[in-house]
Amino acid sequence: MTTPLLRALRVARRYGEVEALAPTDLELLPGEAVALVGPNGAGKSTLLAILAGALDPTEGSVETHARVGWVPQRPAHYARLSARENLELFARLEGMGDPAHAAASMLERFALPIAARPSGELSVGNRQRLNVALALLGGPRVLLLDEPTAALDPGQRRRVWEVADALRAEGGAVCFATQNLEEIEHAGRTIVLQDGRVASLTVEEVFG
Amino acid sequence: MTAVALLLRKDLRVLLRSPLLLGALVAYPIVIAVLVGLVAGYASAKPRVAFVDEDNLPPVVSVAGHRFHWQTVVNEVAKQVTLVQLPQAEAQRELSTGKVVAVITVPPGFLGDLQTTVVSPKLLLQTGSGGLAPRVTEQVQSLVYQLNQKLQAGYIQANLDFVHLLLRGGKGHFLGRNFDVLGLERTQQELARLPSTERVAAIEHFVRQAREGLAQTGSALRATANPIELEQGSAHGRTWLLSAQVQSYGIAVTVTFLALLLAAGATASERDEGTIGRLRRGLVSLGRLVWAKVALAAVVGLVLGLAIVVVFGIVVEAGGITGGEPWARVPLLLVGVLLAAGAVGAAGALLGALAREARAASLLAVLIVLPVVFLGLVPRGALALAYWISLFLPFAHAVRFFGAALYDTSPWGTVGIQAAWLLGIGAVFWLLARLGVRTLTA
Repeated sequence: MTTPLLRALRVARRYGEVEALAPTDLELLPGEAVALVGPNGAGKSTLLAILAGALDPTEGSVETHARVGWVPQRPAHYARLSARENLELFARLEGMGDPAHAAASMLERFALPIAARPSGELSVGNRQRLNVALALLGGPRVLLLDEPTAALDPGQRRRVWEVADALRAEGGAVCFATQNLEEIEHAGRTIVLQDGRVASLTVEEVFG
Repeated sequence: MTAVALLLRKDLRVLLRSPLLLGALVAYPIVIAVLVGLVAGYASAKPRVAFVDEDNLPPVVSVAGHRFHWQTVVNEVAKQVTLVQLPQAEAQRELSTGKVVAVITVPPGFLGDLQTTVVSPKLLLQTGSGGLAPRVTEQVQSLVYQLNQKLQAGYIQANLDFVHLLLRGGKGHFLGRNFDVLGLERTQQELARLPSTERVAAIEHFVRQAREGLAQTGSALRATANPIELEQGSAHGRTWLLSAQVQSYGIAVTVTFLALLLAAGATASERDEGTIGRLRRGLVSLGRLVWAKVALAAVVGLVLGLAIVVVFGIVVEAGGITGGEPWARVPLLLVGVLLAAGAVGAAGALLGALAREARAASLLAVLIVLPVVFLGLVPRGALALAYWISLFLPFAHAVRFFGAALYDTSPWGTVGIQAAWLLGIGAVFWLLARLGVRTLTA
């Protein structure tokens, strides 16, 4: 039996009386791509943040057996630092041996500006690419993407999916949230969320 | 490099790239130090006082056969105030315009009354309504005290001369009249020559008792003049209280304000920028995240504290302000600044975690810092509750630490107690902040 790279056991999140995510189970196996689909407020981002360890579940637990990279829905980096400085800082925090080299290779891979310009002044597309690049520092085997292509042009979207597909092909796993039905084709499995619960509906039924 | 050091370096870099904030951070301590220095300088400056001599006092005055230099006593007082000799009309004009803060008038007949030794002459003092009036009143009271001290000896001697005359007999002079006194000794001799009767024996007994009693008059008069004598020992404690206070408050206010603001803003901005989620994913523990904000507050507080001390010191030295700047104590002061800024930083991190947004956190910090400072200024006797609340906040302990570090002759007791308070308060706020940042979700 294949050991999952990541396993969530009845993870749930409540904010006071509001249940953002009902107890949910999820496994990511090597070579697997899972799409989380659902309307706004369905619990996709909450589930991905819990899987990434960025948010504590109010109940349940997450087991990880591989390094996990996380691309949050909103770009998460220091606006007054340049793209290079952000990459170097997080590479150091990841404990990478040569942070400067890691940052330089990510800048090149995602065609990010090398000028010492604050990342907060970059275009929305560049900031999202920096967001993805930061998630790939440390060579994760599991990639969690929260609507990663929402602000990207078609060329940039293709590059993101190339990265995700390559990771999966190398035995990693990808789990992504999307509202773009065309992107579901990158997934081998689709989970539909509605009102914080896994719904036994088809994508078409959810979006009408 | 540890995660705390990496985040600290990042926060400092971000700080240096905010031109407005950086400008404020550079200007703030300089402005505070200059203002504090000016306050200290003004407070220790000599107030200008008019001296109106309507009796034409000679430089040397003779009272009861004793000569003393009137001008020397006046010069003593002039060390504390600037005495300006003026005619009465001009003195009154300058008092009304505030050019002098007080007028001391020696009225006509002052010296004559003084020389009678039976009438107390009066010096007249008029003060303005400015803040220095109480100080001038104290200075003039000191002048009168010093004059009385010097006159006392003369007065006592004059009285003793009369007592001596009563004992020994001879020629006397009082209020312009000359007279002969038989004296108790000669009275006793005269009585010895008379036939011994019961009445003569009774008078002899009285004269003997009177002689014995009057022999003690000298000590009794001196004791009456000085029922309590003040003996001043060598100086202990603060060398210059006012400088200590203004400098301590200046540094404490600056450190409290900026450390709270920075730590609160830096903590909340981790959520604003979405980076708290990345950091929480095993890169940085929440405890270390709080430590990084505490370290930011401590480092910035230390730099600002040092800047204030240096600028204040330059102002003090350049102005020749009494007490000077105790440079040797600066390292001890900086230890206190580090502890205080760290404790306030932990409180700021808690505030940032609770406010959740950098702008709200900064506004909250500004709103909170003033009550915190004023609570620390309320004396115990004025409002006990305020005093007790301030005990559990870093500001009052920071002020006490700084004051002791700068000017107490033996600061270690106070410094040790206040350091323990700051560490304890900092630890509690750190713990609360550690719990608070759990709510800073991505």
